Amino acid sequence: MPTSIPRGYVRMPDIEFQSPISHGPISTPDGSVSIEDETSTTKVVVRAAAGTAAAADLGVPYGQSRLRADGTLVCGTRPDEWTLFAAAGRAAEVIAPVDTDGFVNAIDITHGRAMMRVSGPKATALLAKVCNIDLADDMTPDGAVFSGSVAKVTCDLLRADRAGEASYLISCERSFGSYLFAALADASTEFGASLPAGLSIH
Amino acid sequence: MIVVNCPHCGPRNSSDLRPCGEVTTRPDPATASLSEWRTYLYLRENPAGWVTETWYCRSGCRRYFTIERNTATNETRSSEAS
Ligand SMILES: [Zn+2]
Repeated sequence: MPTSIPRGYVRMPDIEFQSPISHGPISTPDGSVSIEDETSTTKVVVRAAAGTAAAADLGVPYGQSRLRADGTLVCGTRPDEWTLFAAAGRAAEVIAPVDTDGFVNAIDITHGRAMMRVSGPKATALLAKVCNIDLADDMTPDGAVFSGSVAKVTCDLLRADRAGEASYLISCERSFGSYLFAALADASTEFGASLPAGLSIH
Repeated sequence: MIVVNCPHCGPRNSSDLRPCGEVTTRPDPATASLSEWRTYLYLRENPAGWVTETWYCRSGCRRYFTIERNTATNETRSSEAS
């Protein structure tokens, strides 16, 4: 029997991945801060009402994150909502085990959200310039998940330190990605970064 | 800056949230008079003091919640109603 596909409908796996950010990593000569595009990271959002098997499986409370044995990072993004991060191209494997019994959905948002990482000893100082969330260690420790305004863009943030150094994964709607990257790069000039041609918000 | 305590996110700058105004009770559509509808839609107590308000946590958890705010001092406290 022929299947009918509505006009304009495209399966996400059929689209070649393309990041909205067209610049390579930005870093300061002394290594105090670096900004890199991590948009290709697999991102899956799971909404699961309290009491569902999916919510119990994910288990991570709002505001926290946990690295699962299979390498998937589970973030409690909002009450009853989780974001799962995994290596590029793994959306199907991340979605497959989610128990969809009850009021549950799991959606691949890899293409829909831009993501970048700010890391280094000055990462917190850089982010504090453009984000009104309290980034002190006791309020947003390593592993903390939070949402707020970054350079006036509503973002989901995760503090995921690397080798003992502060590191933040920041994701926003795809269409703001290019601007947000430029805004963060602009904020990094104070710490000594020089910006490549074409990357400016002024 | 007004600090609003979201029950999910904790203390946040009010610019991260959207104020939705005083909590009012919707009249019964079957029996409400025009005057009651007008009062519900447009009239607010607006006291200089404690008022029970709905806020939307726009940048954070994206939930609506109810708190009490003192309109004279901008202190906030949790609401019995929430
Ligand atoms: Zn909130």
